[in-house]
Amino acid sequence: MTKKKTAAPKKRSKPSSHRHTPGQGHCVDLLRQLSAFIDDELPSDICREIRKHLGACPNCEVFIASLRQTVTLCRHRPVPPLKSSDRVSMRRAILDAAKAQ
Amino acid sequence: MRTPAKKTSLQRPATQEPDGFDKLYRDHVDLIYRYAHRLCGETESAKDLVQETFLNAYRGLKDFRGEARASTWLYTIASRACIRMRRKRKGEPQHELSLEDFVPTSEGEFRLQIPMEGLSPEEALQNKELRQALDQAIDKLPKKYRMALVLRDMEGLSAKEVGSIMGLNERAVKSRLHRARLFVRRELSARGITNHDDHKSGGLGS
Repeated sequence: MTKKKTAAPKKRSKPSSHRHTPGQGHCVDLLRQLSAFIDDELPSDICREIRKHLGACPNCEVFIASLRQTVTLCRHRPVPPLKSSDRVSMRRAILDAAKAQ
Repeated sequence: MRTPAKKTSLQRPATQEPDGFDKLYRDHVDLIYRYAHRLCGETESAKDLVQETFLNAYRGLKDFRGEARASTWLYTIASRACIRMRRKRKGEPQHELSLEDFVPTSEGEFRLQIPMEGLSPEEALQNKELRQALDQAIDKLPKKYRMALVLRDMEGLSAKEVGSIMGLNERAVKSRLHRARLFVRRELSARGITNHDDHKSGGLGS
């Protein structure tokens, strides 16, 4: 990314935290907001700012793609269905435990 | 996979009679089992958590007035039971996750080395190695972060609903969710997953 003096909405990161490429505080600022960006929760001016940064910073573009992939994988993580026999045996155990008290 | 819980009416004066419980159990056991399995990562613990949840629900049914959805009420009971039951999991880091820890420091940490190109998420997850990597990453998350991730990204609840279940404001939910996602991303990026042409083979290739 180029070091433009854009009006970054929240410039909170410390210079020491600009780690992935020297002098790129935007990248760390962006990191804070990526989930909100992915979830479409940010105001349009901030989204525009982020998209502008992504166009100029390949590392951040790759990073955000990998975070999107991660969220997609989480959303589709398979889970085995409950067996009918377990549904019945758990109900029995719950009612037995409840009545035992 | 994102199946929001349906709104169930239990608005009648709640009773402790078996009929009320049976309906609650019948309508929600699959939902709560799925949630429990996603939290615990394996079947036996998930079943323990389901039983604990419904036993607590049985006891509390007479006080449940239907102000919240039954599913939200059960999610809340299950979440509290999970915190109580599994307070100390071996290998589970108990520390807070700091955003600074997720800033990539080398070129290879930016991307995921996983085979997803041209595949639907379901197809990609037929790769056993990828599934295991994802399960392990989620399992390594400290519980309060895992819970936010499961409720929001897997159960498909809103941040507001997650907040009401976990006793947090929306901002805190979003913060935990963000850190949880970054943690899982970092774990996956640290793994090179073999690109299988045959998704079903799923072996630990070279």
